[in-house]
Amino acid sequence: MEEKVLEILEEYCEEALTYDGDNMMEEGVIDSFTVINIVSELEDAFDIEIDAKYVVAENFRNKEAIIELVRQLVED
Amino acid sequence: MQFLSTNFMILWVISFALYYLVPKKRQWMILAVASGLFYVAGTGGIPVGIVLTGAGAYGCGIYLTRSLEAQKAALLDMADKERKKAVKQGFERRRKRVQILYFVCSLGILLGTKYMVVILPFFQKLGLTTPRSDAFFARVVMPLGISFYTLTAIGYVVDVGREQCRAAENPVRLFLFLAYFPAITQGPFNRYAKLQEEYEREHVFSYERMLFGVQRFVWGAFKKLVIADRINLFVGNVFGSMEGGLPGSIYALAVVSYMIQLYADFSGYMDMALGISETFDITLPENFKRPYFSKSVAEFWRRWHITLGTWFKDYVMFSFVMSGTGRKIGKSAKKRWSKLGKHVTGIIGTMLVWLLTGMWHGRTVSYLLWGVYYGVIMCLSLVLEARYAVWKEKLHIKEGKVYGLFCMARTWIIVFVADVLIRAESLSQAGEIYRAMVTDFRLKAGILSVSDYGLGRYGFLLLAAVCLLWLAVSVWEEKGKDVRRMLAASPAAVRWCCYYGVVLLLLITGIYGGSYDTAAFLYQSF
Repeated sequence: MEEKVLEILEEYCEEALTYDGDNMMEEGVIDSFTVINIVSELEDAFDIEIDAKYVVAENFRNKEAIIELVRQLVED
Repeated sequence: MQFLSTNFMILWVISFALYYLVPKKRQWMILAVASGLFYVAGTGGIPVGIVLTGAGAYGCGIYLTRSLEAQKAALLDMADKERKKAVKQGFERRRKRVQILYFVCSLGILLGTKYMVVILPFFQKLGLTTPRSDAFFARVVMPLGISFYTLTAIGYVVDVGREQCRAAENPVRLFLFLAYFPAITQGPFNRYAKLQEEYEREHVFSYERMLFGVQRFVWGAFKKLVIADRINLFVGNVFGSMEGGLPGSIYALAVVSYMIQLYADFSGYMDMALGISETFDITLPENFKRPYFSKSVAEFWRRWHITLGTWFKDYVMFSFVMSGTGRKIGKSAKKRWSKLGKHVTGIIGTMLVWLLTGMWHGRTVSYLLWGVYYGVIMCLSLVLEARYAVWKEKLHIKEGKVYGLFCMARTWIIVFVADVLIRAESLSQAGEIYRAMVTDFRLKAGILSVSDYGLGRYGFLLLAAVCLLWLAVSVWEEKGKDVRRMLAASPAAVRWCCYYGVVLLLLITGIYGGSYDTAAFLYQSF
């Protein structure tokens, strides 16, 4: 699962892979347009629905947070 | 009541003193009383709007929390997955209906109020109003900060529904959140969960914090009175000139000046608001991060009126894209156009956000065009982002200081073109300004007549000097330095020279009185 998430991130926002901070959205590493594309790809890849309530800076603060979010939604 | 008024200073000083004298658990009540006084004095009439919007948000919040609790209880012992899904969907549907009803009502009040200026004269022409009803509407229908508290209340209702915060049990606490006096007039937009944490903390008096808060307030007043209001003497005369036919160079200078004026005015207000709040040990979110250093329009809007941008992104854009309709559009677009299809929902969401941002800022066609202009530019830049890298490589462009400056200049030009639309008195004047700047620039005539528009030679020189001071502070901040802490750590002589210098400049060169309301802020009318 982790590999697939990283693959999607690499396609849409390579910078996210090397980013080591904890506020990707507010620091402009990942813009809203990219978030939308990533969410759409994750939904297709894992057959999940990512509700707007999960699309917050906290869940997109870095690649680890995104992986954790997907893991939770897949388990649910 | 304006920040720059004696009444406000009295309110600030008294509430500040009481705030640190009362028991820590009651400090928020002092803020609630001060906000109530500020609000009633500022509105000058019956605050019906905020009472209705606030009461609705309170009731809605309670309903949503109870519904979420009932849903959890109902699903607790349910084993069948299909049944679970159906029950959950039932609860969600009911919550959505209540939320939509609230949004329609509160936005109805906002739009009714905003467009009352257009609607009332129409009713008056038809003879449907009386002097008594006119007086009633003038007193009741123009509440202070309606655009701000309406969006803040909607954000609260969404956050409760998304379980990002618990609903307020005490309606006075919700009122304080909506009408917190440093933020009610022009923002920043706050989030309930974050601000509640701030209110609930115990706040102990700190001399350093008080000093920093007052310093930030004075710096904001400096930007407003010395820079923004001085620029207004020139800009107001150029745009107010009824004859037209001015050299394009004068219009160009006026638009550049307006770009600085709007920034000085709005960020000056934010400095004052955040400074006041800092004295109460309540941290408000930053609304500006030196936007004119941005290398793209997208970055510019991440640094300008940050909390409004985040509000629209979180509550409009993501809500739309992740809704049933948004998903359907996205999926069918992906099927039809393999490459561009993935951008379709993003493009619709961006355009929607910018149309609403335009409508939120003003009720004229110019604002709508302003929103469409930014929406189109944002979409183009995002869709073409991948292409930029290819073009850069083909043209052998290396990223460095020169390229960075080029990107900044490109951003300034885009903002320049947009600001003509919102500053011009009419759409036809905006057209005339664009035309004059392209076909009738007359640089020499502009230079010779520049001091004929309300701001003399010395006025311009002083303005240039204070703008350079502001630029120096901004460059320091951009490099990550905290100027207030730098000053606090410097020798006493240097420190006090800076303090007195800014205060003296403010007192001597600030624009006080005159033919327009110096205390009013530009963003107040948005």
